[in-house]
Amino acid sequence: MSGMREENELHGEHDGHGEDERELAADTFDAAEFDDGLLEEELRRAAAVRDPVPTELRQLALDAYALYDLDARVAELTFDSLVDALPIRGATDAPRMLTFRAGELTVDVEVTGQGLMGQVLPPQPALIEVLGGPQSALPVPVDELGRFTSGARPAGPFALRLRTGADVVVTEWLRA
Amino acid sequence: MTAGTAPSTAYDVVPYTRGGAVERAEVGALVRAAVDGDAGAWKALVDGLSPLVWSVVRAHRLSDADGHEVYQTVWFRFAQHLGRIREPEKAGSWLASTARHECLKVIKSLTRLMPTDDPLVLDRVSEDRTPEQLLIDSEDAAAEAEQVRRLWQEFEELGDRCRRLLRVLMASPPPSYLEVSAALGIAVGSIGPLRQRCLRRLRARLDARGVV
Repeated sequence: MSGMREENELHGEHDGHGEDERELAADTFDAAEFDDGLLEEELRRAAAVRDPVPTELRQLALDAYALYDLDARVAELTFDSLVDALPIRGATDAPRMLTFRAGELTVDVEVTGQGLMGQVLPPQPALIEVLGGPQSALPVPVDELGRFTSGARPAGPFALRLRTGADVVVTEWLRA
Repeated sequence: MTAGTAPSTAYDVVPYTRGGAVERAEVGALVRAAVDGDAGAWKALVDGLSPLVWSVVRAHRLSDADGHEVYQTVWFRFAQHLGRIREPEKAGSWLASTARHECLKVIKSLTRLMPTDDPLVLDRVSEDRTPEQLLIDSEDAAAEAEQVRRLWQEFEELGDRCRRLLRVLMASPPPSYLEVSAALGIAVGSIGPLRQRCLRRLRARLDARGVV
C-alpha cells in the first residue's frame, strides 16, 4: 500500500508543477509534502474532537456481532426500486419494491408508509420475523401461500428472517 | 489522539507513509478470528474501522438520523456477511463501499430534502462531550480548542470535492487509498494528486486567516 502511495505522490508532484508558476526544488517538495502530512494529521485530531463516532453507534456496531449467524442463509437484495426502477413521474411516495433471493427462494417486499407487505416464492408456508437489530424480532402473520403483512413500517434498518422447514433465511440488512 | 499534546511532540508521530497500511495488515486475521467466534476480534474490527465508516457517512453529509441508520445498516450487514467476505483483508474497502452505496441510496430517496449544507447543523454532532472535549474545555487548552475550531471551520468551507475527500482521509487510523477509493467511488490514482491540491488549498485558507 505504501508503494502505491509513493507512486501517487509522484503524480501529485507533476500535478503541482502544472499548478504552480514557479519551479520548485526537490527539497521544497519534501517540505511541502511533509506539511501536507502535518495538516492531514491535524485534521485527524480535529475530527476526533469535532466529529467523533457517536458512542451509542460504536456500541451498536459492537452488539451487531450477535447478528453473525452461521446457520442462516443470506437472501441477497437483487432488486431495489430505489435504484433499479425508473422514477415514475408525479409519484413522490411510490412504495419501495424489494426483491431478495437465496438460491431457489425469492422474497418480494413492498414498503409503504403503512408497513410491509410481501410474498415468499415459490408459495409456501413460512414463519417470518421482522428484525430491527440484534435484540429485536417481531413475528408477522403469514398465510399458507407465504403472503405476509406487517402493520408497522420499520423505524430503521431491518431484515426478514424466514423459516421454511429446516431452512433459515435472512434477507440482507437494509434501511427502509 | 490527545488534544493537549504540544505541537512539537505531536509532529514527531506524524506517519511519513500512511500508517493505516500497517495497521490494516491485521484486518484479514481479525475477520477470520471473528468468523471463528472471537468476540475480541470483532471489537478490534469495530475499533479500527468504525471511524472509517463514520467518515464515509459524514463525507456524504447526511442528516444525523439518516447517517446513524446508514452506519447501523453497514455494520449489521457486515456481521451478516462476515463468513462470506471473499477477501477478508479488504474488509475496510468492503465497509467503505457498502457505506457509500447506502449513503447514495439515502440521497436518492430524498427527492426534496437534500443533504445539509448548513454548518450549524453539522456542528450539532459533537454535542455529546467526548473525553477529548472535556480535556480541551480546560482553560489551558482553550487556545488549542480555538485553533481546532478555526481549522474545522475552514475545512467545512472547502468545496464539495475537497471536503469529501479530506473527511474520509482524516479517519483514524488513516485509511488506505483502496479504502478511500471504495468510499468515494474515485480512482486510486487520482487520490494522491487531489489530496495534495485539497490540503494546500486548505493551508492557503488558513494562512490567509492567520490561523497557524
